[in-house]
Amino acid sequence: MTNKINLYDVTLRDGSHAISHQLDEMQIDEYTKGIEKTGIYAIEVGHGNGLGASSVLVGQSKISDELLIKTAKNNLHSTKLGIHVIPGFATINKDIKNALYWGVDIVRVASHCTEADTTERHLGYVREKGKEAYGLLMMSHMTTPEILLDEAIKMQTYGAEAIVILDSAGSYLPDDVKERISLLSQNLNIPIGFHAHNNLGLAISNSLVAIESGAQIIDGAVKGFGAGAGNAQLEVLVALLEKMDYQTNIDLYKMLDVADMVESRLLKEPISISSLSIVSAIAGVFSGFSKHVKRVSKEFGVDPRDIFMELGRQKIVAGQEDTIIDIAIKLQKRI
Amino acid sequence: MFLFNLTENETSNFNTLKNKEILITGGSGFIGIWLTHLLLYLNDKKDFNIKLYLIARHTAIALDRIIVNRNDVVFIQSDIRNIREFPKEISYIIHAATSPDNRIYMSNPIEAMDIIAAGTKNVLENALHLEKLEKVINLSSGQIYGAMNSHNIKEDDFGKLNSNSITAIYPEAKRYAETLTNAYRSLHKLPTIQVRPFSFIGPFMELNKPWAVNNFIRDALKFKSIRILGNGKPIKSYMYPTDMALWILTILVQGKVGSAYNLGSDVGISLEEVALKIKDIIGSSVNIDILNMNDNCSEFVPNIDQGKRDFGLNIRMDIDETLKKSIDWFGKNSL
Repeated sequence: MTNKINLYDVTLRDGSHAISHQLDEMQIDEYTKGIEKTGIYAIEVGHGNGLGASSVLVGQSKISDELLIKTAKNNLHSTKLGIHVIPGFATINKDIKNALYWGVDIVRVASHCTEADTTERHLGYVREKGKEAYGLLMMSHMTTPEILLDEAIKMQTYGAEAIVILDSAGSYLPDDVKERISLLSQNLNIPIGFHAHNNLGLAISNSLVAIESGAQIIDGAVKGFGAGAGNAQLEVLVALLEKMDYQTNIDLYKMLDVADMVESRLLKEPISISSLSIVSAIAGVFSGFSKHVKRVSKEFGVDPRDIFMELGRQKIVAGQEDTIIDIAIKLQKRI
Repeated sequence: MFLFNLTENETSNFNTLKNKEILITGGSGFIGIWLTHLLLYLNDKKDFNIKLYLIARHTAIALDRIIVNRNDVVFIQSDIRNIREFPKEISYIIHAATSPDNRIYMSNPIEAMDIIAAGTKNVLENALHLEKLEKVINLSSGQIYGAMNSHNIKEDDFGKLNSNSITAIYPEAKRYAETLTNAYRSLHKLPTIQVRPFSFIGPFMELNKPWAVNNFIRDALKFKSIRILGNGKPIKSYMYPTDMALWILTILVQGKVGSAYNLGSDVGISLEEVALKIKDIIGSSVNIDILNMNDNCSEFVPNIDQGKRDFGLNIRMDIDETLKKSIDWFGKNSL
């Protein structure tokens, strides 16, 4: 097995959740100029929920997908530009067609972990256009490893050239990661990737477990800038993999320069593991709900932790944000 | 323009088909279209006076072009499961009514399995009522061998097939169809033969099918770039469709009832070698990018000695000529 690891930078997409999708043109311009120098394989830009997702329901982006993509592409030459696509938020004709025209190289088509069949047309379209197509299984802790494998096989069949499983709630223990990544890498003919969240402080160690279990694509965000407790901290991953003799083709110093820049220009406050992030991991709920839960709990005078636990019991997933209010009302009335 | 050019000696192999009626299910598919070309060539150039019936759920432009205004071809638009009665004078049946496109088996597995199972049963039931019936070919699949890793797969080999995996949907349904066909042979003395197709490349195929070589040709023609995510080492073989059609028709005439025959090329070639040959044909401007992200070194090549030995068949079109002719056709017809 090759010891080459492709690190995939989700800072400008998952990090968008952390600042309510308020990334601006200057921040993207500055970030992409810096990241291009590091030699990283690919970065992703966009609304936290991906292309076409800007809306009242899940939050409105400060700038359009077009401006976001074009600004990033303008600075990227050797580093590839990726986008996150959830069928339903993004459509082929309205969104993906344009995104490819604006210069996107990689389209990561995501579905809930048991809904891979919603990705067939989108993956097929991207392959037909000669671009790299990945299949992403979100909230992957919500199903068994065996069903996860079935869904991954579907995506591979539809044309996905890599499968990435997302620990969207940051709730995996190392053995959970090992079991799933091993099963997928032993049964698929395409590279497997892992996307961690740090709700339980395990993002880096779970990423290493993923690599040791056969993953070849690891997602990370500079300074951990991502939804909830953030993602695996990218510059730490780079340093760690260099120390462990894995090839990433990334210049560590240049990456650390980007990290310093992010600290001063992008982060309003350091990414930390808040109490709510811990609760969301235990409840198995998407970390990106935190801001909505906080707002709604204040409005209705209920404990946000109770909301998270109830969201977990009801197995609520991204896109069902309106349920948060229903739950808050019921908790308020003690129904 | 005819796609075949047979000598008198070669033509005489098919003399028993003269003045006969032949039915092809799946008549508008890749195999159906090629067989139609061959049979109409025999009618037009060799005065065979064959009456051809084609059954399919939908027609295809490539088929319409060759059967329009012809009295010797009857197209019956129907799901193979719903046909109530076959024309009485039919002597030969080639049952080819299923798509090998695995995407269908992932998105609509129950319906897809039913088409194979119930469709095959309906063909065999109707065949029982044909007084002039001489042979029935059940077009099975090389995939029934399961996870074989061999460059010499013989008809009596048995591969591993995990029926507890969704990857088994197509091959397991095909195995069932073979067994069912044999049950009709055993109980009703129906004169059945199994043919197990492997891989083909050539005109009338769709370049957006999720198969590596199709995608290599499409990407090389459209984008001047071929992307191999793995190491390029997996070995398969590719038969040109003129050979495919000649082999099927020869087996129809000369095949031994109760036997199974592999159909494909026995000359294996790695994905990397295929990519290099495509580059040579299209021109040096084509880039080949081997990303080396997995260590898959599988081999899947049939042994076709039985067909060669028993019928004097051979592979007329080597891989270079196969790719050259295919690329030429796709360049003019598919982009």
